[in-house]
Amino acid sequence: MSQHQQSRLVDDLDVVTAEIISGKLLALVDEMAIIMAKTSMSPVIYEVLDFACGICTSQGELVAQSNGITLFTGTFGSQVAAVAKQYEGDIAPGDIFITNDPFNGGTHSCDMAVIRPIFHGDRIIAYAITVAHWLDVGGAVPGSLPTNANSCFQEGLSLSLIRIGRNGELLPDMVRIIEQNVRLPDMAIGDLMAQLATTRVAENGVRETLDKYGLEAVENVFTHIITSGEKKSRAVITDLPDGEYFATEVIDGDGIVDTAIPVQVKITIRNDEMIADFTGSAPAAAGPINCGYTALSSAVRTVFKALVGPQEPSNEGWFRPLKIVVPDGTVFSANKPSPTGWYYEGSVHASELVWKALANLKKDRFSAGSYTSLSVLYITGKDKNGNLFVHIEPQHGGWGASADADGANALIALTDGDTYNYSIELLEAKFPLRVKKYCLNTEGGAGAGRQRGGFGLIREYEILSDDAEIYCSLSRNTTPPWGVENGREGSCNFVEVENAKNGAVSRLHRVPHWDIKNRDRVRVITGGGGGWGDPKERKTEDVMRDILDDLINPEQAVDQYGVALDNDDAFQTDK
Amino acid sequence: MARLATDVGGTFTDLVSYDEVSGEVKIAKTLTTQEDQSIGVMDSIHQACTMEGLDPSAVEFFVHGGTTVINAITERKGVKTALVTTEGFRDVLEIARGNRPDLYNLRTRTPAPFVPRHLRFEIPERMDWQGNVLTPLDEEKLVAIAESCRRLDVKAIAIVFLHSYVNPDHENRCVEVLSELLPDVTVSPSNRISRQWREFERSNTTVLNAYVQPIIRQYFANLSNSLAKENINCTYYAMQSNGGVATFDQATDVPLSLVESGPSGGVAGAVRIGRELGADDLLYFDVGGTTAKCSLIKSGQPKLNPEYKLEWSRRSPGYPVQIPVVDIVEIGSGGGSIAWLDDDNGLHVGPSSAGAMPGPACYKRGGTEPTVTDAKLVLGILDPDSFAKGQMTLDVDAAKQAFEKMAARLNISITEAAAAVVQIAEADMINALKLISVQRGHDPRDLDLVASGGAGPMLAASIGRELSVKSTVIPIYPGIFSAWGMLAAMPRVDLQRTHFESMSPDTMERLKSIFATLITEAVEYFSCGSKDKLDLVYQVDVRYHGQEHSVLTRIDLDWDLGTFLNAFHEAHETAYSFKIDDASVEITNVHLQAQLHTSVVSIAPVSREGRSFERASKGRREVYFSEDGGWHDCDILDRDFLPVGELRDGPALIEEATTTTLVLPGQKFEMTGTGLLKISEK
Repeated sequence: MSQHQQSRLVDDLDVVTAEIISGKLLALVDEMAIIMAKTSMSPVIYEVLDFACGICTSQGELVAQSNGITLFTGTFGSQVAAVAKQYEGDIAPGDIFITNDPFNGGTHSCDMAVIRPIFHGDRIIAYAITVAHWLDVGGAVPGSLPTNANSCFQEGLSLSLIRIGRNGELLPDMVRIIEQNVRLPDMAIGDLMAQLATTRVAENGVRETLDKYGLEAVENVFTHIITSGEKKSRAVITDLPDGEYFATEVIDGDGIVDTAIPVQVKITIRNDEMIADFTGSAPAAAGPINCGYTALSSAVRTVFKALVGPQEPSNEGWFRPLKIVVPDGTVFSANKPSPTGWYYEGSVHASELVWKALANLKKDRFSAGSYTSLSVLYITGKDKNGNLFVHIEPQHGGWGASADADGANALIALTDGDTYNYSIELLEAKFPLRVKKYCLNTEGGAGAGRQRGGFGLIREYEILSDDAEIYCSLSRNTTPPWGVENGREGSCNFVEVENAKNGAVSRLHRVPHWDIKNRDRVRVITGGGGGWGDPKERKTEDVMRDILDDLINPEQAVDQYGVALDNDDAFQTDK
Repeated sequence: MARLATDVGGTFTDLVSYDEVSGEVKIAKTLTTQEDQSIGVMDSIHQACTMEGLDPSAVEFFVHGGTTVINAITERKGVKTALVTTEGFRDVLEIARGNRPDLYNLRTRTPAPFVPRHLRFEIPERMDWQGNVLTPLDEEKLVAIAESCRRLDVKAIAIVFLHSYVNPDHENRCVEVLSELLPDVTVSPSNRISRQWREFERSNTTVLNAYVQPIIRQYFANLSNSLAKENINCTYYAMQSNGGVATFDQATDVPLSLVESGPSGGVAGAVRIGRELGADDLLYFDVGGTTAKCSLIKSGQPKLNPEYKLEWSRRSPGYPVQIPVVDIVEIGSGGGSIAWLDDDNGLHVGPSSAGAMPGPACYKRGGTEPTVTDAKLVLGILDPDSFAKGQMTLDVDAAKQAFEKMAARLNISITEAAAAVVQIAEADMINALKLISVQRGHDPRDLDLVASGGAGPMLAASIGRELSVKSTVIPIYPGIFSAWGMLAAMPRVDLQRTHFESMSPDTMERLKSIFATLITEAVEYFSCGSKDKLDLVYQVDVRYHGQEHSVLTRIDLDWDLGTFLNAFHEAHETAYSFKIDDASVEITNVHLQAQLHTSVVSIAPVSREGRSFERASKGRREVYFSEDGGWHDCDILDRDFLPVGELRDGPALIEEATTTTLVLPGQKFEMTGTGLLKISEK
């Protein structure tokens, strides 16, 4: 602090130091993300960037996070807090922890958190954390996520709050447990190495900042970052009208049965606080679309951040005005041993409930309903050398329109984020698969409206293996995305399998196992988003452009928008 | 004989000529003419001829850097472009990668493609990933596509087929057919621009290339005509984004390679300065009015960015392109950047800038927001009277006034507010410099820092100290360094091939044969007859089996496999802090960098006569140094009269026509025999 004694303090901290240290922390989490993506072994991480990195205070409050997956970033605090509590008084410099426990701060068994305490002298000053989706952690099926699991014990190795390293080195016994319990040990250990490198980078960076600015300054900046987020967040909530806002939704089946699962929320806004109360939502389901409280909290926080400050760096402070209420044992607050493998296909509905309840309250922050489901398809089997391959791919889909713009085409679902699709050329070189088609899903359509929804897509594979299977669990397979202000509903997600021998086509959405033979075709078809406003109010030129671009046909123009094409190729409207 | 460079910037067009015999340098500066940049270029040549006595007929090397390509893209003023692609994939260009970097924005969308859906045509054809034909090209269908393009008045067609990076036959046949049917339309196949996999990135590259190609062809034709009329009759070169130059004809084939023409000139200049210093490893740092740009030079070569994206931001995925572009980290923090307080009294600098109009508050052209330049004036670093050769007087009171509100809100003095703004701007720049050095495994203590741009030399000494670099160097002509750098660039081509194989005993043999093919292509490209005329750098993208991202590893073709593997493990550890000795290793990409032997600009020794600190002295000024929180009486020196090879202690201000260099207390500096200013810690 001695360098800046002359400038007076703001929040007990001079502005220059505050801004410089904040900037360093943000640069540091970016660097963590680069290291993670570039060194990971698993295609889910490096190609679709299914991971996130962050730095928390000694109390487990998030200070800085990388861009990544929305769903993970809401869990950093609870994962760190769970480890800190388990090992209270028993954490030494050089310790490394690993955890994947959905009932103890985590999400599901495949999402592996690596946590490294950062010491200043003999005191913990911060934690570095990175959460990444491991391709396989053992369990009933390759990829570890049986869509019809009926308990968490089928979902692979549980590493609940485990110390995996001391003195900066991995403990060989622990590594062996992992190696012996997963199907692709090289990949798992490779990812573990990448996560270690990532957290080591964070540790070095925080230490360097501590050496330069001192403990007091760094801790003050932590506090400053968090209270500053809190202030901004409360200001937004204060500006919203007090009241109660409701939404209901259904989850289309749990993986075991197709029955609709009703869920609901009551949002209460009072002064500078917001309560999201999920009382009345269905009890935990038999199948794996349940989530634990941490995943619920993360799902709600995602939409809350979209409301209060979508483009500002995230930290714990933003969420202090938010309170989440849920009775124990619901589909959003499941307990061990409920299965949670496909939790994100359930928890996303908690996000959507909050979103739907608030959409009309702050139009410049929300859009109509989106295709919702990550629409992940697993294709596993033997390649021509008899080696196991596991291809997991989320699919992008249509987003809802907003008050002043059409919805986005083919964008990744809310639960992910800076998540890429898989290059076809790369994929064909790596797996016994051939992509036959990758295009916008114009047949399925998008929700009509003054502003229409965005289009989903069709991805069609030909499978080049005689010994393969697929499994998947897609939400919104029956209930389409919602429109706003008379905007129409969007369309649903599903998978089609076309049998090469007899041409039979089967339509699937949640299926634990489907045999695939050589040359069978598998199509993932994602839905279009909901519309916003009355379709009859859509500008004629926008309808014409959609016809020109082959997004809608002239019949749809008449039926949905009341815009007709006359014989001279000019357009008429019956408005 | 003379070497001549013209660099078209946003506001000014700079000209530098260097007489190889006399060592004389001529400089001209004219206003940029945005509609047709060649007019401004010719204006600068006329100015150099009339005012500086330039003899056009003596020019033996002409190089040009401009913004025609980037402007056409940024302003969406390219030609009407169509895309012909493999059946089933016309939406690849629009779907892009589908990522949402703007994580919490529920209204975000992917940037619009440069070819709308109704101009994207599909054709039956297909290769597998090894280049075997699965579906032959349906040439009949091309007739209908050509007809549609004619009817829709398409000016350029991009052709992108899946796996054409392995087997380009279908693309090339498609070019033949379409060119015959549409003789007036520019037809470009992806394989002429990129032989790398990833269909979206290659599509986007090809489309953008086609989009600007007719424009650049016309532009170079105009410029060539005008130059010939002025009696400049040598080969004309264009500055490319890879740090080298290409002839106008070569550049017209791949106009997208000109996208970062200007900044890449600065990097080429830094390489040349490095050679002068005997330093192969450098950080290069250029601060202009609105941004700061940072690059790393390693082993005398600029690093290329393997994932260059146009219009990228933290919130937008941008438009990735697969062309060799020097790795430049750019941040929105420059001399004109505006300092501001957020609602919670957090102090930030940039990215909005006062630009040239209205400019910083001290310009008195209507700007009232405090900028970095205003802060420098308040702190005494800038001289209000000698700015821009005294052509402009800066208003200190206006600068102070601009900080009043901020200082009041923070409850600090105006001086402290100005010092805070400079420190924050510097911190942003330090983060960017760390991103390209420390974070990629290079220790700044092993590097020298070369700083240019109007605002760079004012900030350099302090940034150099923070990074602990070996020394901080202010090159000659820091204010027009990009143009000067172009004189130092060599003809260069980068040839890359996606080549996928697991490391095996035959790997080296196979690599030799791939490189042999690439060398033949390079020799053809330069029409130089033999590879003896080329400087060749062999690089291979290598990774552990299972990884996606690879590490670019420089190799020698006479290495054995073990040496190659060791080099890779070491490169991986440098970049990512770990290696896995027993893991299997694979190759994904092969990269040949070829430069044609040419003489580059020499740097004339400065005359030792008439130089001394007394002669250079321009008096003293009070300067505020935030490090020790006070005002120091500081020497002001004229760079043109500094004695050679004599060390002197800071603090000092060294002024020249286009910039001012600040040396801090505790530092020492000297002028080298070739006129470079070298600052180091005492």
